[in-house]
Amino acid sequence: MTAVAPRAGVRPARPRPSWGAWSLVAAAVVMTIVTGSAIHFTLAPLFNSATRGWVIVRQFFEPDWGFLLTTIKPMGVTLATAVLASMVGCGLALAISLLASRVTTHNAVVYRIAKAILSILRSLPDVVWGMLFVAFVGVGSLAGTLALVMFNIGIIVKLTAETIDAVDRGPLEAADASGANALQRARVAVIPQILPNYASYAMYVFELNVRASVVLGIVGAGGIGQTIQVELARFHYDNLSAVIVLLFVIVFLIDQASQWLRRRLG
Amino acid sequence: MIRFTDVSVRYPNGTVGLEGLDLEIPDGQFVVVVGLSGAGKSTLIRTINGLVPTTSGSLEVEGQRVDGARKRELRDLRARVGMIFQSFNLVTRSTVLNNVLVGRLHATPTWRSLFGWYRKDDVELAFQALERVGIVEKAYTRASELSGGQQQRVAIARVLAQEPSVILADEPVASLDPPTANLVMRDLQRINRELGITTIVNLHFLDLARTYADRIVGMRAGRLVFDGTAEEADDAVFAEIYGRSLTAEDVLPGAGEAATAEAATAETGPGEGAA
Amino acid sequence: MSAVAAVRPTPPPKWRVVLIELVALAIVAVCALGVDANWARLLDAPANAWTYGGLMVRGLLNNPFATPFDEYWLTSLDFMWQSIAMAWIGTLIGAVLSFPLGFLAASNVVPRWVVFPIRLVLNAFRTIPDVIFGIVVMLPVFGLGPLAGALALAAGSIGSLGKLSSEVIEGIRPGPVEAVRSSGARGLQVLRWGVLPQVMPEIVAFWLYRFEVNIRAGAILGVLGAGGIGSLLSRLFDAREWDRIGIALFVVIVVTMIVDAVSGAVRHRIIAGGTSRRERAEIIASTAGAAL
Repeated sequence: MTAVAPRAGVRPARPRPSWGAWSLVAAAVVMTIVTGSAIHFTLAPLFNSATRGWVIVRQFFEPDWGFLLTTIKPMGVTLATAVLASMVGCGLALAISLLASRVTTHNAVVYRIAKAILSILRSLPDVVWGMLFVAFVGVGSLAGTLALVMFNIGIIVKLTAETIDAVDRGPLEAADASGANALQRARVAVIPQILPNYASYAMYVFELNVRASVVLGIVGAGGIGQTIQVELARFHYDNLSAVIVLLFVIVFLIDQASQWLRRRLG
Repeated sequence: MIRFTDVSVRYPNGTVGLEGLDLEIPDGQFVVVVGLSGAGKSTLIRTINGLVPTTSGSLEVEGQRVDGARKRELRDLRARVGMIFQSFNLVTRSTVLNNVLVGRLHATPTWRSLFGWYRKDDVELAFQALERVGIVEKAYTRASELSGGQQQRVAIARVLAQEPSVILADEPVASLDPPTANLVMRDLQRINRELGITTIVNLHFLDLARTYADRIVGMRAGRLVFDGTAEEADDAVFAEIYGRSLTAEDVLPGAGEAATAEAATAETGPGEGAA
Repeated sequence: MSAVAAVRPTPPPKWRVVLIELVALAIVAVCALGVDANWARLLDAPANAWTYGGLMVRGLLNNPFATPFDEYWLTSLDFMWQSIAMAWIGTLIGAVLSFPLGFLAASNVVPRWVVFPIRLVLNAFRTIPDVIFGIVVMLPVFGLGPLAGALALAAGSIGSLGKLSSEVIEGIRPGPVEAVRSSGARGLQVLRWGVLPQVMPEIVAFWLYRFEVNIRAGAILGVLGAGGIGSLLSRLFDAREWDRIGIALFVVIVVTMIVDAVSGAVRHRIIAGGTSRRERAEIIASTAGAAL
């Protein structure tokens, strides 16, 4: 075999930078500059007001544990709200998600309307739902429950609809072939397939609800959030820190429990 | 020169990788290691660049002790020893050129490499490596857009860019179709002969082993059971290495002269006359 | 044809399913009680919703160019922009801080004794709602305003982004990393050229998703005084200015949907950019094959 010099191929020219990628980066940079000045970004307060903050932080490290006794009831309300909203929300969402998937809804109009309404629902933050329902049904945990239900539906329907889109079509065809109508087909062929994923969405949303309850309480929707709002307004940082630690522990426990449950079911 | 002296490898889970291996590979030799899966082929190759640590014995590569080497020494060793893999192991989202430039990382200061500001000489080396394997026109193509054979050639280019003294190849053609497999083996052989780089290849296709090797080493259950030339390795020898009679799986599909002749004219041939 | 006399199997016990359903109902009932809500007010809801909804729509339908409505629209847009600015800066800072933490929490990059505490810290950050960060750290030091809000969102994002990044990093193919390492490259070089190209698109997609989340999360901080759409709505609801509320909600919905759409499109483009034409052709071929 003869030895040959390296093959003379044509070296390609260095490609010009990709139009798309660079424009995205440029947009991001512009966005950063513009938003940074819009909020008057500066880290100066860290150095100037640090002492004021430090006083508060120090108060934080001396929680008033006795206060926790008064928080048992609001915490219970918060948890009950989270559970109730999760269950009602999940139940309703399951039915609605059948409308939001092409697999189970053949009517294109219904499908598009459903998807549009859900997009709208999802673009409202949980606080806003809280404020709306406080206006409709007054202050208290009823408003909180209803707000969470609306909040949940948006999330769960989106996730479930995506799962339905991805189901195995085989059982569906079998149901069709035996003459089932849309509802029967959903009940028999779709729901059993999505149940495991659906269960994990339900747990995910439950965790979200516990944390969202804090938020809702601040706008008057009851539960531990309301306690936090009150103590904050009164500058009782020692009480506040006790409540926060309690909240942290509970959310942590729920997180662990749902991981355990997920492993059991998965 | 690579020298194994009574080298053993025992994995943490108790499996024996190598057992009392004595082997000397002089510079510039083209060695093919054959054996069943789990016989120690992969372990043997991976001890040479320190990817698998030895449990006992001494292993010397070009005068440097690999066993017990410090991190820094291992890095220097790996700079001089290039390795290609069965699954090519290219960074699929990067371009061909960037993949080849990985071979120059050991000579590039960290700050330059973080931004990809390689020196001109290094880029030139990378291009030359690509030219040597005949794929330079794809330099700016994403690696994932290449065929298997092309990806393996990029891997070879990466190794060439290191300017190595040893090339290790762990089942380099197992994922390729027969014509392409022959092309890759011919590239490795050509590089070995033109540049004098010691080449050690794991194969389980016996016909390829016989066609391309100067020297065949047979492993079985971690022990060296055969060491000789391709002529000496007949079917009986292979049957002993494999502990069973040969099956169709041990040779390339459609193997034989027809395949190699086909390979010479397939794709873009290596540019030389048929061997 | 005569029927074969086979033994019919006994049906599986129904009582299990019934039990689960009863337990579920019981939980609902207990919680319904535990919620301690004024259920009677539920009956008011439809009527109120209709009335207020009507007022909101009326506010929307007014000529947006006539005073005072043009002012209302501009105010809403202004506050919405503030929410977006807050969310962008917050996500940016959160992304920058969580990036190294993601690597430090990946078991295939650093040893176990580093992974463990970092994961703990990330989990702690994840569990604390942004609100708490706002209340505890930001507001006292940075006062009211969107800067405090942005920093609270940043703190809230670090935990989630860090965890997601570490999961992506742990899911890479080890082959290319081994190949880079076997060429003699140093640790940082291996990270830069073996790990990073594999994970960057997914991680950036997570940053964008978090941006979408933070626009909504900023609302509650606004209620506490950090600016943005939350503070506007809080004021309007207190004052029961339903026509302005209608306008503000419309702005929130439309702008959020636009941001979601753009961000979603960019995310898909980034991830799909990892699938080459060749891979896409293979995917199409294999699904076509499966369909046939």
